[in-house]
Amino acid sequence: MADTTPTKRLRQTPLKSPPNTPIPLTPQTLASPRRSLRFISSPAHSIPPANTPVNPKPTRSKSAVTLNNNNNKKLYGNDSIKDDDDDVIYTFSPISPDRTETKKKRKSKAENTVDRVNARVSETKIKIKANTKTKRRVYYKKVSYDGGEFSIGDDVYVKRREDDSIEDEPEIEECRVCFKVGRGVMIECDDCLGGFHLRCLKPPLRAVPDGDWICGYCEGRKLGKDVKLPEAPEGKKVRRTAKEKLLSSDLWAVRIESLWKETDGSFWFRGRWYVIPEETAAGRQPHNLKRELYRTNDFADNEMETVLRHCYVMSPNEYAKAENEGDDVFLCEYEYDVNWHSFKRIAEIDNDEDEDEDATHDDDWSGDEEDSDAELSDDMEYEEEEDRYTAARGSTPAREAAANSRKGFTFGLQKIGTKRIPEHVRSHKQTELEKAKATLLLATLPKSLPCRNKEMEEITAFIKGAICDDQCLGRCLYIHGVPGTGKTMSVLAVMRSLWSEVDAGIVKPYSFVEINGLKLAAPENIYRVIYEALTGHRVSWKKALNLLNDKFSNGAISSKDDDRPCILLIDELDLLVTRNQSVLYNILDWPTKPNSKLIVIGIANTMDLPEKLLPRISSRMGIQRLCFAPYNYLQLQEIIGCRLKGIDAFEKQAIEFASRKVAAVSGDARRALEICRRAAELADYRVKSSTSLPKTGKSLVGMSEVEAAIQEMFQAPHIQVMKSCSKLSKIFLAAMVHELYKTGMSETTFEKLAQTVSCLCTNNGITFPGWDTLLRIGCKLGESRILLCESGASHRLQKLQLNFPSDDVSFALKDSKELPWLTKYM
Amino acid sequence: MPSIAVAIVGGDAPSPHKRRLRSNSALIDNPVINTPSKSCPPVKSKSARQRVNDSPSTNRANVETGVTKMNNNNNNNNLPVKKLLDGLLDKPIWNPTELGQISVVKEALHVSTAPSMAVCREDEQKRIVEFCRQSIVEEKAGSLYICGCPGTGKSLSVENVKGCLAVWAKETGSQLPDILTINCTSLSSTSEIFNKILEKSQPNKKVSGRSTPLKQLQQLYFQKQQSSDTKMMLVIADELDYLITKDRVVLHDLFMLTTLPFSKVILIGIANAIDLTDRFLPKLQSLNCKPTVVSFRSYSMDQIIMILKQRLMALPYAVFQPQALELCARKVAAASGDMRKALGICRGAIEMLETELREATCTSTLTSMVRVDHMAFALSRAYKSPIVDTIQSLPQHQQIVLCSVVKHFRKGKKDTTIGELNKFYIDVCKSTLIPPVGVMELSCMCRVLGDQGILKLGQSRDDKLRRVTLQIDEADIIFALQGIRFFRNCLQ
Repeated sequence: MADTTPTKRLRQTPLKSPPNTPIPLTPQTLASPRRSLRFISSPAHSIPPANTPVNPKPTRSKSAVTLNNNNNKKLYGNDSIKDDDDDVIYTFSPISPDRTETKKKRKSKAENTVDRVNARVSETKIKIKANTKTKRRVYYKKVSYDGGEFSIGDDVYVKRREDDSIEDEPEIEECRVCFKVGRGVMIECDDCLGGFHLRCLKPPLRAVPDGDWICGYCEGRKLGKDVKLPEAPEGKKVRRTAKEKLLSSDLWAVRIESLWKETDGSFWFRGRWYVIPEETAAGRQPHNLKRELYRTNDFADNEMETVLRHCYVMSPNEYAKAENEGDDVFLCEYEYDVNWHSFKRIAEIDNDEDEDEDATHDDDWSGDEEDSDAELSDDMEYEEEEDRYTAARGSTPAREAAANSRKGFTFGLQKIGTKRIPEHVRSHKQTELEKAKATLLLATLPKSLPCRNKEMEEITAFIKGAICDDQCLGRCLYIHGVPGTGKTMSVLAVMRSLWSEVDAGIVKPYSFVEINGLKLAAPENIYRVIYEALTGHRVSWKKALNLLNDKFSNGAISSKDDDRPCILLIDELDLLVTRNQSVLYNILDWPTKPNSKLIVIGIANTMDLPEKLLPRISSRMGIQRLCFAPYNYLQLQEIIGCRLKGIDAFEKQAIEFASRKVAAVSGDARRALEICRRAAELADYRVKSSTSLPKTGKSLVGMSEVEAAIQEMFQAPHIQVMKSCSKLSKIFLAAMVHELYKTGMSETTFEKLAQTVSCLCTNNGITFPGWDTLLRIGCKLGESRILLCESGASHRLQKLQLNFPSDDVSFALKDSKELPWLTKYM
Repeated sequence: MPSIAVAIVGGDAPSPHKRRLRSNSALIDNPVINTPSKSCPPVKSKSARQRVNDSPSTNRANVETGVTKMNNNNNNNNLPVKKLLDGLLDKPIWNPTELGQISVVKEALHVSTAPSMAVCREDEQKRIVEFCRQSIVEEKAGSLYICGCPGTGKSLSVENVKGCLAVWAKETGSQLPDILTINCTSLSSTSEIFNKILEKSQPNKKVSGRSTPLKQLQQLYFQKQQSSDTKMMLVIADELDYLITKDRVVLHDLFMLTTLPFSKVILIGIANAIDLTDRFLPKLQSLNCKPTVVSFRSYSMDQIIMILKQRLMALPYAVFQPQALELCARKVAAASGDMRKALGICRGAIEMLETELREATCTSTLTSMVRVDHMAFALSRAYKSPIVDTIQSLPQHQQIVLCSVVKHFRKGKKDTTIGELNKFYIDVCKSTLIPPVGVMELSCMCRVLGDQGILKLGQSRDDKLRRVTLQIDEADIIFALQGIRFFRNCLQ
C-alpha cells in the first residue's frame, strides 16, 4: 500500500477533503434511497447458544453483495486515480466487497443523512421483520450503521457523554503552527503527538525523516527552556481530534465483541473497553508510550448510537508496520485486569484462548472462506478507506445518545472504579454534624494551617534561601517536635506553596523527594528510593549509592534535568541511624560538597538526635534547627475552629474543653481532632436514635459528648471491663480490695480470698458459688489481666494480686446497680 | 539555662553592654521560641551608637593600605588579635540590602567553597606533602595516618596536597602517582576498597573472578613487576574507621599492602580517633611499618579568626564587626574548634541581620554590619541547650510527671519504674486537685518525654516495669518550673 515514503506516520491531508468532490459517484445499482443501516454478513453460528440465528446462511449473502456491486469495482480504479492528485499516493490492492460496501455507504451518506432508521434496504427490512416476529435478539457479524460499517473485532470510539458533539471535531489535527488543516504533508512529533506541516517547520523539512522525530518545542522544553507554542489565531477555536479526546479520557475506545439487534429494533453491541494508562491503577508510567492503550476484561453493552467511528488498536508488531494509518492508531500490548489491577501480555492470553474456546473467532473467518485471505492482506487499505470515508462524513449530525446512557446497563468504566463517581450521585444532603465529622477526619487536608505561621515562614526562608540564589548551596535543616504538632504537614504546605510559585515562574524549578524512614525496609534502601525518585531508574542500593555519590560529591551531571536543585525531605530521620551511621553520614555529607545542590530537611521526634549522633555527623548537620513545641490549648482551639469554619456543629465551650484537656496531657493536635470527631459521632448517633422526637432546632455537640469522648480516649479500658464484668467477678474483685484493706498486703492467696468471698456472700444473702466456680472466675480475671495470678496450675494456694490500683477497682464497682452493697466493703 | 546563656556573652569579649545582654538572656529563656525582634531591640540602639564610635570615618579613607597590610598579615601566623581585627575595618561597609552581595558573602562562608589555601594548616600540609614526595622519589610504599576532630580541615588539606603534588610533579618532571580518593562511608562493604584499588592500579585488566581482589593485589605487590614504569599509587581513605570490622581484617590488610616488598601503595588514612592505628593495629608496630601520624589539632581562636578573615578577604567590603568575629571565634574555639560550626554560625548571624533589616525597612541608614548581638544570638541558637525552653513548653501533665520524678529522686534514688512513678504522680495530682490520667496515658507521656531526651526509659516486656531515669539535670527542671507557683511549692 502507500509505500511512497518509508516513514513514520503521516497525517494524510487528503482525508479531510470535502465529502463531495473527490469521491466518485457510486453507480445507482444500489437503488435504495438511503441505507444507513444494514447488515452485511449474517450472524455467526456460535455466539451465545441461547440465541440461535434466524438469518440465512452467511456465505451466500456476502457473495450476493459482491455481485450487486460489480459495477462498483470497476469504478474503484478511477477512485484511486483521482486520489493521486493529492499529496500522498495511494495504491489499492484488490478490492474486497466490504470496501465497496462502505463506498456505497458513504455515498448514501453524502446524499442524505437525515432519516437513517427508516431508510433501509428492502431486503434487509424483510429480514429484520422476520426477526422481530420472533422477538429475539438477532446477532450479526457486521453492521452498517449510520454511515459506518462495524464488524466484530473492530475498535471504535465511543462517546462518553451525551452532549459530546462531533460537529466541531476534526478528523485531522490542525497544524500546530499555522492552525490550518490540509495542504501538504504533516508530520507528527513523537513526544507531544502534535502535528506539523512539513513546510511550517523551521527550517522546513523536505521529506519525512527516518526514525523518531521530535518537534523543536519539545526539544526546547527538554533543554529546560521556556517554550511557548504558537497561539491560535484570534477567534479560531482550538479543536481537538478524537485521538486527543481519547487520551484525555473524554472519549472511550471499545472493541466490539458482538453485535445484535434488540427486539425493539435498536442496534446494540457488546464491547470490551480499552483504557488509557492514566485510567489504570498504576497510572501512566514512564515507559508507557503516548499512544498506548490497555485492553481490559471489562465488557459493557451499549447502543450503536454511542459509537463515534473507527479507531485502530494494534499489536506492537502491527503498529510498527503501520505507517499511514492516519491519526486514530493506537498500540495495545497488554490486557488490564480491572479487578486485580494486573497486566498480562495479550499475545500470551490469545495463545491460551486459541486452544480452548472462542469458536466465534474462527467462525468469523471461516464463514467467508474465499474472502478471508483478501481481507487479511488488505487490512490496511481497508482501514485507510475507512478513514477517508469518515473524513467524508464530516457533516453528520451529532448523535444524541452517549455510551451507557441507558438505564439498567452497567456503567462502563465507572464500574471499574477508575472513574470518579460524581459528587451528586451520592447526593444525600449532609447534616452539619456529618459535615463536621468529615472535616475533622485526620485524612482531610485542612484549607489552612493556623498556629504554625512562624515555623512555616522559617522553613520557607530556609528553602528559598537555599534554592533561590544561583549557587544553590547545600544545607541541612533539622526539625524536631513531639508527634501531632504539624511538622510534616507544615513542610508539605510550604512545598505546595513553593510549587505554585514555581508554576508562576517566581522560583526556579527543583525536584522534591519525600521519604519516610518508617517506610524503608532497611536504612540503606534510602539510596535506591532517592535515585529512583530523581531519575526514575530502579537499581540496587549499592549501585544507587555509587551513582548518587557521583552526582552529589563529584558533580557528575548525567542529563540536563539533573541540574536543578534537589530538596530531600526525610521524615522519621532517627530511623536511618544504623550501627555505624554511614547512611546518615552520606546523606548529610552531600550538602557540604560543592555543586551538590542538595537540601536536606530531616524530621524526627527526638530533640537531641544530633547530639546522639557521631560528632562528625552532627558537625556536618550544621546548626539549623527548628523546634515544633506542643500546642497549647488556645492553638488547639484555633485549629479545630479553623477546620469547623462555616459548620455550626459545636458549642464553643465544648471545643475549648476538648482542647484544654488535650493540651494538658500531650498537646497532640491529632488527638484533639479525634476527640472532637468522636464527640460529633456521639451527637450524631444521639440525634439519629431519637427519631421519635421532632427536630428541635439544631443539635450541637455539647460538653457531655466531649466529656464522653474524652472518657473513651483517656480512661483506661480496664474500668470499662470491670464495670461490665459478671456479678460474681465483681464480688471477687470487691473481696480482693477488701482483703487488701484488711491486711495491707498487696498479695493474697486464693484460699484466703475464697473465705472473704464466702463471708461477703453470706452477709448479703447470696449463695456462695462454690470453690470450683470461684477458681474459674479467678482464672478468667487473670486472663484478662485484671488480676495477676501466679503462673502455673490454679490451686488453692495460688497467689493473687490486683493489676490495677485498688482505687480504680472501687471506682468501677461503686455504682454497680445489681450489687449496691459492694460499696460498704470499699 | 541561664548559665549557658551567660557564657555566650561571657569570656573576655570587650562588650560594654554585657550587663544588658545578661538581662536579655533571662528574656530569652521565655517559653516562647526566641525571636530576634524580642531580644534585640534594647541592644540595637546601643550597639549602633557604639559602632559609630568604633569605626572612625578616617579608616575608610585608606582602604588601599589596609588591604596591603592585610596581605602582609596573612603570611605571618602569630599576629596579635588586635592587629588581625584591624584589617577588617579598612574596607567599606557592605550593603546587605543588595541581594548580590548577600549571596556572595554567603557563598564565601559556605562549607563547600574550598578556600584557595588552607590557612593555619601549612605545617601539617607541608608534612604530608613531604611524606608523599619522599615516598614517590624513593619509590617506597608507606602509610600516613591523619587524625583530628571533625571540622579541623583534614580532608581539605589532603585535597590541597593533591594539588601541591601535581604542581611539584610538573616542576620536577617526576612521575605523578595515581591518586585514588575513597570515602569509606560510601563503600557498600568494607572489602570493596581493594576492588577499587585494584581497578585503579590495573585499569585495563579484566578482573578475574577466580581470586579475590585482595589476593590479586597481594600477588601484584609481592613479585617484582616486569615493567619498570608502573606508577606509584596514592590511596587516600577518608573516614578510615568505617573499615573497622570485628576482626579488623580489612584495616589490617590495607596497611599490610604497604609492607609488601614491591608495594607501590602510599596510603593516607583520615579519621577522628588519635590512636586508631595503635588500638586496632598493634601488630603493625612489630612489623615496623607503623604509619606516620599527623594530628590536626582543633583550631584555636586566632586561627578561626584568621580563616574567617581569609574567606572574607576576597570581598571588597566589610561584613562583620571585628568584635563579632572575635566573639564567634572565641566561643567556637572554646567549645569544639569545629570550623564548620563557626561558618554555620556566621551564616546564621548574617541571616539574623537580614531578618532584622527586613522587619525594620525604614531605618536603612543606621546599621548594616553584622554586630555582636547578632553573633551572640546565632551562637546561642547553636550552643544553647533547648532543655529549659522545652520543659517550659511541655503540657501540664508532663510537667507534673517531671515534678514528681524530681521529688522522688530527691530521696537519693537514681531510678524508678513507671508503676511506681504512677503513684507519685497521682499523689502530686491529688495535692492540687487535678484529675490524674490513667497509667497507660502516663506511660505514653513517659515515652514522649523519652523521645525528647528528658527521661530515659529502659526496656521491659511489661510497660509498668520499665525503668525510668532522668536524663537531664534536676536543677534544670527546678529552674524551668520555678515560674509556676504550684510547682515551686511542690518542689520546695
